[in-house]
Amino acid sequence: MLKAAHPERPDALTWAFLGLGVLLLPVGFYLALSAPPDVNQGYLARIMYLHVPGAWLGYLAFFVTFLYSLLYLFRQDPRYDRVAMASAEIGLVFMGLALVTGMLWARPTWGVYWTWEPRLTTTAILFAVYVGYFLLRGAIEDPELRAKAAAAVGVLGFINVPISYMSVKWWRSLHQTQSIDLTTGKIHMDPAMLQALLFNLLVFTLLYLGFVRFRALVAALEARKEEA
Amino acid sequence: MRAETRGRPGKGGLGVGRVWLLALRDLRLEVRDRAGVLSALTFLAVMLFVMALALGPEEGALRRAAPGVLWVALAFLATLLSTRAFALEVEDATLDDLLLTPGGKEWVYFGKLLFQMLLLLPLSALALFLAAGLFYLPLEKALTLFLTLALGGLGYASVATFYAGLLARLRGREVLLPLLLFSLVVPVVLAGVRATVGLLEGFPVAEVASWWQLLLVFDLVYLTAGALLFPLVMEG
Repeated sequence: MLKAAHPERPDALTWAFLGLGVLLLPVGFYLALSAPPDVNQGYLARIMYLHVPGAWLGYLAFFVTFLYSLLYLFRQDPRYDRVAMASAEIGLVFMGLALVTGMLWARPTWGVYWTWEPRLTTTAILFAVYVGYFLLRGAIEDPELRAKAAAAVGVLGFINVPISYMSVKWWRSLHQTQSIDLTTGKIHMDPAMLQALLFNLLVFTLLYLGFVRFRALVAALEARKEEA
Repeated sequence: MRAETRGRPGKGGLGVGRVWLLALRDLRLEVRDRAGVLSALTFLAVMLFVMALALGPEEGALRRAAPGVLWVALAFLATLLSTRAFALEVEDATLDDLLLTPGGKEWVYFGKLLFQMLLLLPLSALALFLAAGLFYLPLEKALTLFLTLALGGLGYASVATFYAGLLARLRGREVLLPLLLFSLVVPVVLAGVRATVGLLEGFPVAEVASWWQLLLVFDLVYLTAGALLFPLVMEG
């Protein structure tokens, strides 16, 4: 995801990702709306075509941030930092989308907007960590220190994911008898639904790749402007 | 730099002596200054008092809230202490001297961590007694409760030390530190609260022990990550 020395405008690959993503987005939307309604949840299940890709890409984006933060810490190349930042920013958008759609789905299904289920809690913690990531970036003016500090948060924040998941799972298991399994009704999926979901996932991935490359370029231009 | 070799009586490459030297020096400064320790102590007492006022006066409600309040108080206290650990260093512009000492930077991390633990342990014991008074916490299990607080405190302080070092030179660190810290240490607080609740409600030892194990694992993970990342971000 790294680019040549001094690019001025997005390269062909970035345009290809973005163009394909934007072109296929209406197709994914059509597939989602024409997929058969769920036996139990009816039309409500369609929120999943937005929710699942959002959540998956949120996690993927933060994982990419983790990788590039590690790379930055060992190589000290500002390009790695820019990709890490770009990915975290896009990840925050996707994760926010997943959280909001999840809540909208949970209210009619479970009767509440929020429940302290391990996956939900872990996601919320992760979201808070990356909000902190950007507050930290905003607070530091020296670019090198900013990159280092952000990289440390990017690494620690992602290491924290399995730890949070484990602790919340155990925390819940002690006193709460009622437990909601998010995967119910989603494992046995109609081929048409699965198709639509996978297609939307592909579209979102294309958009993610395009956005990250684009954002990293913008960050590179900003950095050059700052130096000049 | 010569004085530093005194504190390193050939205990291998790790420089355990240096770590102790740094921690004890900080502790001495802190005790001489008094203001720092006293304000931490007062903060703890006032906070527990206000929480008791807010949640009381029924004995049952207070008793049920005690573990949560204790851990929140501990979390705030550890944040306060971790800022203190680097505040003097920055004020006197000696942080760079410490970091420039030959032979790695990990020892600065461990020294600051040890300093915090040396203050945090007596203070958390004190918090237990205060909570016993204000929240009707039974003191029969004080020893196991203290062990839980120590385990959780270590996990908390190992992240707090890392972040405090990272933010030491920044303006607005007082706001940023809790913001970054609290979301990261949720697991420690959760496990700590559960272990405390288990002890107070008389759960079987095996169940509480599993929480201790979890806390121990968290401690090790955070300690390792903190010690590995600290030299990387403190360079220069």
